[in-house]
Amino acid sequence: MKKGIVIFLVTGFILIFSMCRKPYLFPDEKYDEQLSGGSQTSFDFTSQAFSILFSGMSNYEEDLHNLGDAAFDHSFVAAPAPINSGLGPAYNNVSCVSCHHNDGIGVPTTGEAQSSLLMRISLPGKDIDGGPLPVPGYGTQLQDKAMFGKSPECTVNISYTYQTYSFPDGETYELRSPLYTLSNLYLPIAGGYLLSPRLAPPVFGLGLLEAIPANDIIANADEYDANGDGISGKPNMVWNPETNTTSLGRFGLKCNTATLLTQVAAAYNNDIGITSHLFPLETIHGQTQMDDLDDDAELSDEILLAATFYVQTLQVPARRNISDQQVIKGKQLFMEGKCETCHKQTMTTGVNVAFKALSNQRLHPFSDLLLHDMGPGLADNRPDFDANGNEWRTSPLWGVGLFEIVNFPAYYLHDGRARTLTEAIMWHDGEAAQSVNFVKNLSKADRNALLKFVKSL
Amino acid sequence: MKKILLLSSCAIVLLFTDCRRKSTNPPVDTTVNELDVLTDFANVLVNPNYQDIQAKAALLNAAAQTLASSPTPANLVLAQNAWRAVRVPWEQCEAYLFGPVEDFNYDPATDSWPVNTVELDSVLNSTNALTLADIDALPFTLKGYHPAEYLLFGVGASKTAGELTPRQLQYLVSLTQSLYNSTTALRNSWDVSIPGNFTETLITAGAGSTRYATRKEAFVAITSAMANICHEVANGKMEDPLAAHDSTLVESQYAHNATEDFKNNMIGIQNAYMCRYNSTGISLHDLVASYDLSFDNTIQSQINTAIGSVAAIDPDYGKAIFTQVGQIQNAQAAINTLLGTFNQLTNFMQTTIKD
Repeated sequence: MKKGIVIFLVTGFILIFSMCRKPYLFPDEKYDEQLSGGSQTSFDFTSQAFSILFSGMSNYEEDLHNLGDAAFDHSFVAAPAPINSGLGPAYNNVSCVSCHHNDGIGVPTTGEAQSSLLMRISLPGKDIDGGPLPVPGYGTQLQDKAMFGKSPECTVNISYTYQTYSFPDGETYELRSPLYTLSNLYLPIAGGYLLSPRLAPPVFGLGLLEAIPANDIIANADEYDANGDGISGKPNMVWNPETNTTSLGRFGLKCNTATLLTQVAAAYNNDIGITSHLFPLETIHGQTQMDDLDDDAELSDEILLAATFYVQTLQVPARRNISDQQVIKGKQLFMEGKCETCHKQTMTTGVNVAFKALSNQRLHPFSDLLLHDMGPGLADNRPDFDANGNEWRTSPLWGVGLFEIVNFPAYYLHDGRARTLTEAIMWHDGEAAQSVNFVKNLSKADRNALLKFVKSL
Repeated sequence: MKKILLLSSCAIVLLFTDCRRKSTNPPVDTTVNELDVLTDFANVLVNPNYQDIQAKAALLNAAAQTLASSPTPANLVLAQNAWRAVRVPWEQCEAYLFGPVEDFNYDPATDSWPVNTVELDSVLNSTNALTLADIDALPFTLKGYHPAEYLLFGVGASKTAGELTPRQLQYLVSLTQSLYNSTTALRNSWDVSIPGNFTETLITAGAGSTRYATRKEAFVAITSAMANICHEVANGKMEDPLAAHDSTLVESQYAHNATEDFKNNMIGIQNAYMCRYNSTGISLHDLVASYDLSFDNTIQSQINTAIGSVAAIDPDYGKAIFTQVGQIQNAQAAINTLLGTFNQLTNFMQTTIKD
């Protein structure tokens, strides 16, 4: 009898502890490496690869996405107009798609209709919310186009100097260093201003990045390099105008925006001159060129939310050629060179019972969504909330191999200075110096393998 | 024994059923050369289509000059007809919006909409110069097809020759010259005599093309573009004004040309599938039919249905959204059916094109 009781108790304990154990996780090899966006991965590799709607959407969700898709394409015009009214008075471009061509990366020029490079500006110091300090008369972004009868704030000039470098095996590559200057300023400007160029990035997969729990991103941070691996990883805590609180920034090239709604509303406001409930004032409010129209907010909540939903529900293209031996070798080198320390392969979205398309998705963004010191060559020397002048967000590498297909010719890095992936890699410095040295010393065959791996993303 | 008989009967039925399924779509002609399809797509279809746009843009510019020198009602009608004429090949080429037209923004550069009428009127009311260089420097929403349409037709297609001001005419002449230059650049981008042309990029797919690592990628680009224009027409251009009950959302509204635009988008799809523009080449139709006659018949039939259903809509689409909801929905359904079929066609290319 005693023996029976003991067996019963032991069995009971085993059962109880088995049931308490965390859910079983598949080992990595059980997941399909191609599925960069989890179940929201597309297999369209045409020039429309970044424009694919989430699967499994309801009719309502699909309609909302389509409404946002149309809004993303809408060209704004001067007010008063029956539709798309409210452009400017000063602006950078007339529509979202004018910069995010095919929902992809832009063209690193300024002042032209298809230009996708804008220039942030500020004075040293911080504003009341901890963000960049506006320049009197110019704010925090230069609008280089204006309505007829108004003056663009300035002309942004870009000139490049070219320098040729060699790998130890003799193969050469060329890096072009941009110099940004301002001319035709519409009024005198305060001295000591700081500039930061920003090229329009792709907009696919953003809803999935937004769905990664903030704590999971912060868990990878190592701001003071406690583990001594030479890599920091710093979260940018930014002002969130939706909640009027400080939140983790994860969008923008310096992680200066917390949510997609803010990102979209800010882009409408700063880039196109369109006001919304979140940004009810024109960017040139208080400046001499302000219009006197009483038409704010120019963007309805319906369209703002639809445009936000649109960028939240664009699938991520699948990886290609993952079984190719050169690609496999390249991935091994990517890991060996510690590129993955920042370009983190795998992140998982949180549980979302209200919108299962975003829920519990195992992603391969190849980004930790944190700030890293990229060295003096890439530095803009302009702080943006907690990001200092040397720091940039780790760009997600998913889809980077398709830039040449979606946006030909392709450009890379925060201001499009790199014209090839090799150039983009070789511009890395700062925390990435050890990885670049690793790449520099690879054989040509291994460099090609590494590139082939990156192109498979 | 009964069981054996039953099994034997089932086996025979299955055998014959299987044979019949196969015999429905026998390979008709397995000699269709994929390279020929790509080559003719570029040479028989795209290049002549772009040449036609350029030629008709030249005629529009000439008509604008004639109108400027003699702004009579007859010359206004001639210029309006020249505008409608250039829209035909332009809308047809929208069935294959890939390559330079997409890469270098020829589409938004010439076909941005809506027109920025407030600014356009401001420019006209100013004393600013209106030379070609001045017009070239304006944003996309102030040049291209639709500002020309606004000047030539006015709101509600009500423009009269007497309303044309000298500055409007001057703007129109420079604007149509600028448009002609854009169409020339587009045409040159595929011209085989110009280095780096896209014709070469397409036909060398899988054999050194700077864009298409495989021939399959080129075919998928073509069929995806055909699917994309179906989506844009049915679920964007037609749906947006219909859903909002708002005629101000109708494109080409000044000339009441929207329905004609939609129809030409569909005809462009047919041209692309059949590889025909003035003449006929080896086509996607030939390729598909060589594998699956039934599928080819379905595609051709659905294209014809889409064209016919769009043609049934009132030419004034801004009116049709209130008076012909049923006809519009029929057309949308037909185009969306075609969209689904083109998605199947893309899958077909993925599995059929071997290199």
